[in-house]
Amino acid sequence: MITGMERLVAAMNGEKSDRIPVFCNLLDQGAKELGISTLKEYYSNGEYVAEAQLKMREKYGYDNVWSLFYVGKEAELLGCQKIIYATDGPPNVEHFVIQSDADIEKLQVPEDITSHPAWAEELKCLQILKREAKGKYPICAYLTASMTLPAILMGMDKWFELLFFGSHDLRDLLLSKCSEFFHKEVTAYRNAGADIILYANPFGSTDFVPKKQFQNLSMPWMKKDLEPVGIDDVVYYCGSSRMNNVIEPVMEQLNLKSFYLSPNDDVAAGKKIVANRGLTCGVINDIRLIGQKPKCAAKCNALLRLAWQGGNLRLAHW
Amino acid sequence: MLTEIIAAYNEAVFDTDRDSALEIIHCALESGVSPEDIVFQVVIPAMELMIKSISEDFDANLAQHFMASQIASQVTEEMVAKFKKSPEIIGTVILGTSHGDMHTLGKRIVSGCLRSLMIDVVDLGVNVAPEKFVDEAVAHNAPVIAISSMMMHTARSDLGCIKVREILKERNLEAKIKIVVGGAPYRWDPNLYKIVQADAWAEDGITAGKVIKDLIMEMKK
Repeated sequence: MITGMERLVAAMNGEKSDRIPVFCNLLDQGAKELGISTLKEYYSNGEYVAEAQLKMREKYGYDNVWSLFYVGKEAELLGCQKIIYATDGPPNVEHFVIQSDADIEKLQVPEDITSHPAWAEELKCLQILKREAKGKYPICAYLTASMTLPAILMGMDKWFELLFFGSHDLRDLLLSKCSEFFHKEVTAYRNAGADIILYANPFGSTDFVPKKQFQNLSMPWMKKDLEPVGIDDVVYYCGSSRMNNVIEPVMEQLNLKSFYLSPNDDVAAGKKIVANRGLTCGVINDIRLIGQKPKCAAKCNALLRLAWQGGNLRLAHW
Repeated sequence: MLTEIIAAYNEAVFDTDRDSALEIIHCALESGVSPEDIVFQVVIPAMELMIKSISEDFDANLAQHFMASQIASQVTEEMVAKFKKSPEIIGTVILGTSHGDMHTLGKRIVSGCLRSLMIDVVDLGVNVAPEKFVDEAVAHNAPVIAISSMMMHTARSDLGCIKVREILKERNLEAKIKIVVGGAPYRWDPNLYKIVQADAWAEDGITAGKVIKDLIMEMKK
């Protein structure tokens, strides 16, 4: 039987397989799947996360598994001391590592992130996923770009303040530390078995910054992030921010070939821009479809029809 | 002359160029435009123009929203200190993020925008308990509570807007205090504000200025 990895490889090569690859972003849902009552307990053990990922993939039949715990994990690797756990939503950073300019100077990127205590459970999870997925299903990792990482280290408004009003030297110092962290992180994930690196960068969208700043600031830092580590497994992702406007320069200047669109993007337009040069991932805004099964099915069908016309598209839910 | 100043100021704001925006304001001041005119004839119309542009599908990005509100707020604060007499404040708003929500950017944009529109803001910060929103609204005689949520679960939480509504009902304050919500989840589902029992919602931080101002004016009637 054809595997998720084979479906993905076929799509990347512009070939058709039995169906388009479907990526499902089930994360916190894993706790319920295992009957674990709190997310804090669930995320305390990489074995739980891996087991739930494998179980959910098997149950629903989609094509990927996630090594991602929650976005704040990256902040923990850089010194975040407190994560806020909700009963009904994803964990969130409560303690900001950077609270003053001096904290930027003091910020230390661990020499070896794989020896950091916060990495231990990630590694455990990745090792199990690698062993059990056996290369049949791509293991996805979520890594935050240097331009975006400061938002979870100091809060988005403080980052905007530094970015637009603050000292350029201080800004660049922070960005270079975040970029160094990205390099170490991507290497650690790859070594541990991640097949796909989702490069998360809302600041790589013109919904976040004007085109001029995208070109003069976001683009150079994306180059610094990606050029030293290679891009074959990297997927461009801007969160819920649209990316159709920037696909062309990203393809030209970063050579990236896989694009995980925003639910707000026009999928047909995105696919047309990427054309046969790469892979487009069409995304469904399932939040608007909560409790509306017929609408959800219609939306999926429309996207599947679009995907099937000419290939080069995979499907994800947001 | 004011038309030219408004155009130049707006261009600088849209370009996210704070230094140019401030330079334009300071030049206007030096050339004899009064601080009152700068606020009421330049900053507020510029902010209203931005609100109008956004409502007419002008594709402003988050950086422009942030810069517009911060520049307007900064200029207003600087000019108000130079007013011959204190300006009339339209009303007071209690602002904060919902319980469990640590996201600050949207709240900050709303705050800057409101201050530039002559609305006092009591910023309760992040992760605000529902009781606190109501207690502070009563203490400051504020007609509006504005709750910002960045995440779906914090928007829909029983300890968020829904609880604030429940407390307003219990204390018989619904006629005196209205609730406005905003943040990403409300954009994903424009009917969400009804589900969480808010009186109104705003699509972005800049638009929130108009929604809240309109609500205050309506309540004053």
